Amino acid sequence: MPLSRRIQRALPNVLSIGLTVLVLVILFGPVLLLALFSFNDSTVISLPWEGFTTRWYSEALNDNGAMTAIGNSMFVAAIVTVASLVLGTLASWGLTRIPFRGRPLVAGVHGAVLVVPWLIIGVSGLIFFSQIEMALSLQTIILMHIVVTFPLVVAVVSAGLIRFDPSLEEAAIDMGASQAQMMRYIVLPQIAPSLAAAGIFAFAWSFNNFEISFFTGGFEQTFPVWVYGVLRHSSNLPVVNAASTVIALAQVLLVFGLWYGMRLMTKRRGGTDRDAAELVTGAVR
Amino acid sequence: MGVPAASVPTVAGERPSRFKKLLRPLAFMSLPTAVLALFFLIPMGILVYFSFQYGDLTGQSGFTFTNFSDILSDPLYREIALTTFEIATIAMIAQLIVGIPLAYVLAYKAGRFELPLLLALVLADELNPMVRIYAWRMLLGREGLINEALMSIGLIDVPIDALLFNKFSVIVVLSTSYLTYTVIPIYASMKAVDAGLFEAARDMGAGWFTTFRRVLLPLIAPGIFIALLLVYVPLFTDFAAPTLVGGTTGYMLGNVVSDLVLENGNLNAGAAMSFLMLIAAALFSLVAYQLSRVKQGAK
Repeated sequence: MPLSRRIQRALPNVLSIGLTVLVLVILFGPVLLLALFSFNDSTVISLPWEGFTTRWYSEALNDNGAMTAIGNSMFVAAIVTVASLVLGTLASWGLTRIPFRGRPLVAGVHGAVLVVPWLIIGVSGLIFFSQIEMALSLQTIILMHIVVTFPLVVAVVSAGLIRFDPSLEEAAIDMGASQAQMMRYIVLPQIAPSLAAAGIFAFAWSFNNFEISFFTGGFEQTFPVWVYGVLRHSSNLPVVNAASTVIALAQVLLVFGLWYGMRLMTKRRGGTDRDAAELVTGAVR
Repeated sequence: MGVPAASVPTVAGERPSRFKKLLRPLAFMSLPTAVLALFFLIPMGILVYFSFQYGDLTGQSGFTFTNFSDILSDPLYREIALTTFEIATIAMIAQLIVGIPLAYVLAYKAGRFELPLLLALVLADELNPMVRIYAWRMLLGREGLINEALMSIGLIDVPIDALLFNKFSVIVVLSTSYLTYTVIPIYASMKAVDAGLFEAARDMGAGWFTTFRRVLLPLIAPGIFIALLLVYVPLFTDFAAPTLVGGTTGYMLGNVVSDLVLENGNLNAGAAMSFLMLIAAALFSLVAYQLSRVKQGAK
């Protein structure tokens, strides 16, 4: 084969790999460097490398602001995840399986929440709570997080329910299963991967949410609000590097762990990687 | 908890009564709908109401349009709106330029790497946005790693200031923050396209650009509109990135809202600004959504 032809053949692959690597470097490179420099024994984050240390980690552990903020975020995200899964599952069943008057309208409101920018939701929450004279705290953060997060669960779980044939449910009822048995043995196993995916997304949405927490938190800080405050008033601090690295690592592990579990669940029922990929894309379609 | 014994089928096979017909949707929908009404619809209503109110220190208040006329007539706000439009649009275009080819690679070329790469994209989105902003600041700053590295290898003598605290850094941070939501809808629409079409186009003598423009682009248009819906609107309202890496030239509309509400405590003006942004977002979303539907129907 002449060289030009060979280059022509190889070009698309080279470009594909190049593009993919470039994107991965841009997306993850900065965060990896941040993690690397959290081990640098220097008060300023810069070259040259001064030597390995874990002192920023012990300082972060003793940093009241950092620890409180991380604790707050975990507390908020845990409650928001559970509440969103319950509300979201109820609503997705209602919206996909039960015909009732006004269903398109109700579905529309669920969808609308997802496209209204969080900044505006945050401002509306701030004004709302000031009007009903409810003091801003973690509670108000949780309430506003739930209202923006459970419609996401609805989107993911509904996508799962739509793919799944309702005649199986009718068959179970015809064969004498109670409503509860039908839910437990027919529906739940089918939507379990969707629920797991929705759970990961819900937790991440709440944990990472900055705008709403910023406006409706009053004096209580979640992790993103804490980092924002530090960055606004001072330059970069190695302690923030350490805390951020721990958070990023935990998020990586959480996503991979739950993903792995979900794949096992899908595979066990004869599913493939394709189904797993559909779970991700189903949420945004 | 034990498995309940199979009970005698009583109500199950019968036609649901009128009462049951009403009760079932209520049982599932009342709680979610109540949460939405209480913490989404009512606050939005109050926000709109506030935008038409004035209140001063003497305690007087009432109906007014001045919040809007003040905003719309202020040349400073117009300038900030233009900056916001510029930053959001460049960031969106940059993401499409990277995102469309990346979606193509994922959908047709990645093979066994398809799922891990998809997972990497999801992961990139799950990473805390504040951590990402922090990381970029560390890289781009005056004493940042890029400047340090360039100086240590002798490529430059003075640190480049143009890397941080301007429009450029805001665009970099925003583009990397939303890339996941740009790529995944486009990828999803590409998965639905039969790859045989490309061969057919090639056999008929079309070059890669023609194939892209005449075959692929019309078919993935719905995905692109969804990406616009998911990404372009939030780009307009972001205020963390412009505050932390924007300096004075990267000041955006989101900063205006945040400063009006939290720094000045002017809830009415903040509400009016939010309401205007909400209207713009709603109009844009509706158009993008309709376009994605039309294109899907035309397929």
